[in-house]
Amino acid sequence: MTEIIHNLMLGFGVALKPLYLFYCLVGVLLGTLVGVLPGIGALATIAMLLPVTFSLPPEASLIMLAGIYYGAQYGGSTTSILVNIPGEAACVVTCIEGYQMARQGRAGPALSIAALASFFAGSIATGIIVLFGPPLTEVALKFGQAEYFSLMLLGLVGAVVLAHGSLLKAFAMVFLGLLFGLVGTDVYSGITRYNFGTRELFDGIGFVPPAIGLFGFAEIIANMEQKETVEVFTTKVRKMMPSRTDFQASWKAILRGTALGSFLGILPGGGALLSSFVSYTLEKKIAADPARFGKGAIEGVAGPEAANNAGAQTSFIPMLTLGIPGNAVMALMVGAMMIQGIVPGPGVMTERPELFWGLIASMWVGNLLLVVLNLPLIGIWIRLLTIPYRLLFPAILLFCCIGTYSVNNSTFDVLMATGFGLLGYLFRKFDCEPAPLILGFILGPMLEENLRRAMLLSRGDPTVFLTRPISLGILLTAVFLLLLTVLPVIQRTRGVVFKE
Amino acid sequence: MKPKISRAKDFYAGLIFAFFGVLALWEGRHYGMGTANRMGPGYLPNVLGVILCLLGLIISGRSLWLGSETLKPGALRPLVLVTVAVLAFTFLIQPLGLVLATLALVGISSIGSGEFRLREAVLLYLILVVLAVGLFVYVLKIPFRVWP
Amino acid sequence: MKKCILSIASLALSCLFVALSVSGVLALDYPNKPIRIIVPFAPGGPNDVVARLVAEKLTESWKQQVMVDNKPGADGAIGMELAAKAAPDGYTIILGTSGSVIVTPSLYTKLRYDPVKDFAPITHLTTTPIVLLVNPALPVRSVKELIALAKTKPGQFSYASPSSIFYLVGEMFKLRAGVDVAYIPYKGGAPSMTALISGEVAMLYDTILTVVPQVKAGKARAIAICSAKRSPVMPDVPTMLESGLSDFEASSFSALLAPAKTPPEIVQKLNTEIVRILHMPVVQERLSKMGADIVGSTPAEFSTHIKAELEKYARVIKAAGIPRIK
Repeated sequence: MTEIIHNLMLGFGVALKPLYLFYCLVGVLLGTLVGVLPGIGALATIAMLLPVTFSLPPEASLIMLAGIYYGAQYGGSTTSILVNIPGEAACVVTCIEGYQMARQGRAGPALSIAALASFFAGSIATGIIVLFGPPLTEVALKFGQAEYFSLMLLGLVGAVVLAHGSLLKAFAMVFLGLLFGLVGTDVYSGITRYNFGTRELFDGIGFVPPAIGLFGFAEIIANMEQKETVEVFTTKVRKMMPSRTDFQASWKAILRGTALGSFLGILPGGGALLSSFVSYTLEKKIAADPARFGKGAIEGVAGPEAANNAGAQTSFIPMLTLGIPGNAVMALMVGAMMIQGIVPGPGVMTERPELFWGLIASMWVGNLLLVVLNLPLIGIWIRLLTIPYRLLFPAILLFCCIGTYSVNNSTFDVLMATGFGLLGYLFRKFDCEPAPLILGFILGPMLEENLRRAMLLSRGDPTVFLTRPISLGILLTAVFLLLLTVLPVIQRTRGVVFKE
Repeated sequence: MKPKISRAKDFYAGLIFAFFGVLALWEGRHYGMGTANRMGPGYLPNVLGVILCLLGLIISGRSLWLGSETLKPGALRPLVLVTVAVLAFTFLIQPLGLVLATLALVGISSIGSGEFRLREAVLLYLILVVLAVGLFVYVLKIPFRVWP
Repeated sequence: MKKCILSIASLALSCLFVALSVSGVLALDYPNKPIRIIVPFAPGGPNDVVARLVAEKLTESWKQQVMVDNKPGADGAIGMELAAKAAPDGYTIILGTSGSVIVTPSLYTKLRYDPVKDFAPITHLTTTPIVLLVNPALPVRSVKELIALAKTKPGQFSYASPSSIFYLVGEMFKLRAGVDVAYIPYKGGAPSMTALISGEVAMLYDTILTVVPQVKAGKARAIAICSAKRSPVMPDVPTMLESGLSDFEASSFSALLAPAKTPPEIVQKLNTEIVRILHMPVVQERLSKMGADIVGSTPAEFSTHIKAELEKYARVIKAAGIPRIK
């Protein structure tokens, strides 16, 4: 215990030094900015700033880059709630409830709860890293390919659960998303699939074009069609802070989300992504009144946001304790360390404790800075919503276009986004929800990769998913969830048939 | 909450799914299937293609059987407007730079929105272009071409 | 009359001179504008770090901005293709690695660049040895023991490969050692290392830099190094040759190349300066911390090396029956 206190004091001693505090601030500011701007995200920004870190002391560069990462989560939820555009893959779920709340004039409470939930989760997660970091990595290592596949499958079931319209169409959207996700080069055979000869699709469709197209462009077109809904924003925008009932509804969701996110974030290989989906699914399933979901249920914002941020923090654990990056952003952090001549790995904790603990302490400091920054900003965001739509939508269009273009400096990406926009418009007309599609899109390639690798490792034995206990457990949860969702619909349809 | 099965909406939705399913199968016929144990690149795509075709048929078919309402025709103008504005931006940004591409996008969107007021639009454009250039080129240091 | 001819001649000559030097052919005032080093990988990787180091030092010595342009994708092919088609004026060069220069062209038939014909090698920057690791739970401490164990259980063990060059090295091992182990591809060093540590795979090939921390912490055991000599970073690890395998040498290189038609004087100028940079103490220190050995060869030497590597892996591919991808 005393050791932990000693480490924490060492960490805060580093993190609160004016120089590092400054870089923390810069990082979270940049992260928030980049998260709010559609298209460009934490990954691209960190990649761009990597050379800059060459000349900074290692603690400063890592603190700043980390700040960008979790700052982007905060910023991303802002655009999700305000304009239904997910800034990062993890923010897709926030769009569902958050945007509906905004349309009902409750953007303020939504944004506040998102910020507060994130702060709470971030603090707890930092505590978890401090107390349980190394042992948790052992657990993470128990997850093999079979477990990951089952986890992705659970995520997919969650994607179907997310939908509140026709179940069949939700399934179809998920499968369509899976298909889109498979575009690109196949790791195993080296063949490029569905790229129709274009070189740009060699590495697949990125996350940004479908997100911007399906959520951004399609939303704008749909909004302009329904002139009357445009007024909702201007007239009913009211309070900034959540009400007492809001808090009461949310706090349990926040706790659950934090727990989920903290655990899932540790799993290298996409754990943090799943945390928001699983949290949403959980909230929807255990809510007393699930019909509220899809129409602005605040638990649907509180839980996933908490899960999101907790996952973002704990995803540092494998990188810090083992030197193994859990996702693309962590891989860049590893690169940042290598530029400084530090080789990440199990030794970093003992060889450079100021770096290790300083970084962890700065994560909490960064979360604090973010909440202090974002809460007042909410007032400004709400005011932005009162701008007449005819002025607002060109601005949104512009930032979407620039954001999409800036990821790869590629006009092809913007063209793809346009195509997805048209498709998204059609989908909206036909009552097909985009969220399941984009979730399928994200999970698809991971699902396939893990499935094939699991089969390769087991030499073609499909029972491996059932014989490994963790995998079995997850699969059972997925099946259970699926049944919970599908059975009521079957009963209802039977009811309809019998009535006739 | 019972989702209403709308005749026209589901019909077209099913068509879209079936379309992609057929596309998947058509292109996917080149990719080796492999076995269930050693899945080739074509395994999952073709399986998905089949599933999508099936689902598409079911959804469309079901709509004909049980459907009720027809579809309101959508307004064409917002669709065309947004598409043209975005395409203008896309084709102008590389040869002519950010400032002019933004002008095209904002101009087309404003004029086409039906409630065009010149002074307002110009002010909007100026604010946006300064914001955009400032944020992206100076703060984030993204290598954009700003001028032609 | 003579004066007239003379003055015209000198005027013409000086015009020619100016034109030639402006076009860079004479390389007299190269560089006179910024130079771009294309790195066909995402930033942060070890090769990217090397490129940035060189860029930084070149900028210092030539007083011209030398910047790194990351163009990742398709295992390096996208960047290589860009460089192959770039203007051969010495202002665009590319960081090549074993993966993008040797392995990808060997495995794919329809590439849009040819590593020999489309590029003029500048210099071989570094060589990083590849190490064979096993999961520490496995009761083997040497290559001989590994081969013996694998022969008793054919097809049961698997090796992880973070990218295609390690695939070829792994297949080469199977050929020389006569064992049957399964190849499991992974996307990069992190997931493959996780797989090794958790015991999902028995063996892993990776560059020395990535493996040192895990070996030090006891999470993985290094049983052989694939270079010709032992590495000072891991002095107790024997080489493959010492372990009894003949004709086994594999390493990962990073190098700089220019488009094929770049004038030889410019190539030579780049070579001289970069080799000088490579021998700076501060650069040497940084690079050896990364486990990389500095080479700094001449363009001709490197060209020979490229051809030798291409041939070596072509033989492995043929002997192991690895299908080439269209």
